[in-house]
Amino acid sequence: MKQKPRVAVFDFADCEGCELQIANLEEEIIDLLEIVDVVSFREVMKEHSDQYDIALVEGSIMRPIDEKRLQGIRKNAKILVALGACATIGGVNKIRNQWMPDEVMKQVYGDAKVKGNELFNVGKAKALNEVVPVDYYIHGCPIDRDEFKQVITALALGKKPEIPRYPVCVECKKNENICQFELGNFCLGPITRAGCKAICPTHNMPCDGCRGLIKKAETECVKEVLERYHLTYEDIRRRCTMYNYGREECTYDK
Amino acid sequence: MNTLRAITKKELHCFVDALIADGTYDVVGVKAKGKRFVYGPLDHAEDLRLDHDVTILPPKKYFLPPLESMMQYDLKKPFEVQATFDNKQRIIIGMHPYDIIALQQTDVVYLDEQQDDFYKKRRDNTIIIGSDIDAVSERSFAGSMNTHVADTGFDVLISNIGTQYLLTIGSEKGKQLVETYAKTKEATAADLKKLQQKRNTLLEKYKQKVNITTKDWPGVLVANYQHAIWEEHADTCLECSSCTMVCPTCFCYDVRDQVSLNLKDGQRVRTWDGCLLRDFTRVGSGEVFREEVKERYRHRFYRKGNYLPARYGFVACVGCGRCGIACLPDIADPCNLINELASFGREEDTERFFIKQKTTVEETGIIHVPRSATVTRVEHFNDLDTFFEIQLDDGKPLGHKPGQFVEISLFGIGEAPFGVSSPPSDTPRFEIMVRTVGNVTSKLAQLKSGDKVGVRGPLGNGFDTTSFEGKNLIFTSGGTGMVPMRSLINFVLDPKHRKKFKNITILYGAKQPKEITFMKDVDHWKTVCDTQCEVTVDRCDEKECWNGCIGLVTTLFPKIRMDMYDSKNTIAIVIGPPIMYKFVIQCLKTMGIPDENIYVSLERRMKCGVGKCGHCQINGIYTCKEGPVFNYNQIKQLPEAFE
Repeated sequence: MKQKPRVAVFDFADCEGCELQIANLEEEIIDLLEIVDVVSFREVMKEHSDQYDIALVEGSIMRPIDEKRLQGIRKNAKILVALGACATIGGVNKIRNQWMPDEVMKQVYGDAKVKGNELFNVGKAKALNEVVPVDYYIHGCPIDRDEFKQVITALALGKKPEIPRYPVCVECKKNENICQFELGNFCLGPITRAGCKAICPTHNMPCDGCRGLIKKAETECVKEVLERYHLTYEDIRRRCTMYNYGREECTYDK
Repeated sequence: MNTLRAITKKELHCFVDALIADGTYDVVGVKAKGKRFVYGPLDHAEDLRLDHDVTILPPKKYFLPPLESMMQYDLKKPFEVQATFDNKQRIIIGMHPYDIIALQQTDVVYLDEQQDDFYKKRRDNTIIIGSDIDAVSERSFAGSMNTHVADTGFDVLISNIGTQYLLTIGSEKGKQLVETYAKTKEATAADLKKLQQKRNTLLEKYKQKVNITTKDWPGVLVANYQHAIWEEHADTCLECSSCTMVCPTCFCYDVRDQVSLNLKDGQRVRTWDGCLLRDFTRVGSGEVFREEVKERYRHRFYRKGNYLPARYGFVACVGCGRCGIACLPDIADPCNLINELASFGREEDTERFFIKQKTTVEETGIIHVPRSATVTRVEHFNDLDTFFEIQLDDGKPLGHKPGQFVEISLFGIGEAPFGVSSPPSDTPRFEIMVRTVGNVTSKLAQLKSGDKVGVRGPLGNGFDTTSFEGKNLIFTSGGTGMVPMRSLINFVLDPKHRKKFKNITILYGAKQPKEITFMKDVDHWKTVCDTQCEVTVDRCDEKECWNGCIGLVTTLFPKIRMDMYDSKNTIAIVIGPPIMYKFVIQCLKTMGIPDENIYVSLERRMKCGVGKCGHCQINGIYTCKEGPVFNYNQIKQLPEAFE
């Protein structure tokens, strides 16, 4: 049999929730281990190796030392996969990009002496592809386990993983949900990339856009819908802050 | 058959409860979901709502589920593939007339000469208990579409006439069901009168009305194909395809391979697709055939109001109004759109771009399940192109005509269409050439002799070579257009057939010397007498060796020995990339070759190959059924074909 691809899992600024989703595959993790060799995965194992083919990287990049570490990973890996919203689009970490890093540091650490300590040398929050080239994306906060399996099996079969380029509405309609707009809520589903099986609207929560926007908030069609539902550009801007601050549109795989 | 029985409200509940209790059937019916309604499994008769206006999704979800397994396979043992049928016996209660009619329309498409077995099974296993409309949805215009009442298409139809219900028996199955499970009485003349009254007053309840009859939809659409309205509306389109998802007459689908995490087994599934989505027309090489939102937005309306009427004789909209409710910018409602268009004017005598053609069905068995075949020869032409000889494991010949195509499957990866590049043969072997562009082609390129693939086909129409007999022939191919062209050329140059045709010219253009495919054939053609073969390349890198012509394929035309050609008695065949047709056809016109003597073969996203999935549509024409070979004269006016 062909050698199994060696996989390493890394994390940066994140909650490790996406890694937890992998660990939560439970009995299926045995299947996963049959098709790949996991050589590094801090959340679940002690061993570590720098010899890997596929790097799954969770988290946003905050500091120069993170950039350096990510560049090292990129150098080692044949395939680099961004895992979860923090890595794919910056996600919640970018909320703080509304303020200057100095202000944020002061707010959080007050007068504590952190200056000069590289661990505290924080810049703007970045998605992985703002630092290194990323090959594939597993979107979401957290990732969808089925999509994770789909991407991993595709890579193990030597095939290019395909993720949806259409909005959440497609999946939401298939689930026969009442439209969040009809319920009086403001949902980002129409401009957010699908692939989550519309999990939030299906559980009666409007979409927050964690899988990235596929349409600009300035597009004519978005304006039209905002107007119809008595919403303003400011409303949508605020709504996008949660996961998509500073990002107008994910254009990387159009 | 239509006999009428009366039943009390209480007994109707007992009837439904008896059906549920029996356990033979999976009983589904209309239930409340918040302020809306949905079809769902019924636990008690009380859950059934016959006062619903419209459900969020139509009952198509029981016949063409949003995600449906078509076959399962074992990746370790290629070609242990099994079709996965849904054998559940089901009763659907509460289907309104417009949904019943929509289902009858879907039957026409899915139960045609290339029958969809998965659909057929579900259809056969389902009993339909319809319901007359009590509450009219605000957006519905079924009254204008004559779909507010249905005379056929149900097994039983329930009508609320106030004091009690009437059951119209529509089939033997329905009769049996009512006799076995329901306590009914003979309906009286007074009951019948009440029912007629109810139906008569129903029309008045419709606020939404289409100002023209369905007969006039095609005319209005054809007259306004280039109208600015398409762009205006498309500007506000979110491209979410919600309109097609909730539509009872939208039945296009995409096909995917899903593999289990252990890579041991997998299944091929199909899932609802929508023509408003950009990827709908995307082919392996990345080309998108309806790039602009406007084109996709317009396509949906033309499919409903012009293409399907031309093909099947009915407007594929039943006026349920679901798309109007689902569309956030509110541009999807056909009632509003048709009324708007009708105010601009119409054409009385509509010229419709439609080719009526009978599909010859050569395949037996389940149309979606491929036959097993073995790769018997692999040759790498260059880093992109790989040649394969494939042998069908059942030992039967493929039985193809030049110009036909096959769908090649790799389980776990997917399926893709390829033109057959060998001439017709009575052996089970045939040849294809694969250019590496996507997942299926990359994986194919790694195959070795002895590996297994799946084959569906031959599909499409192919060339009618008998009509070329006694004529001069000019073959023009560009790039991979040579793949199907080679089948035709080798057929006519076969000593057995050569005498039937007059002078032959072969023109072939490739991007660069290393991309010239079938070099051995090309060299051979150059030596055949009465045959002229000219090859050119667009460019030649310094490292490459090439002493032939450089320039586009059109630069070869002056080399044709015109004195040998009587242009009226000359047939030209053109196959190449989309951009090539316009220029080559211009050259042929200059030579005086009439349009009806020009044949082209077009590339589109042929996914199902049997006229169901909708991806290869060029306007109203299915490339996989009426094509890929077309007479130029027939389609030169066809929008989208050469643009």
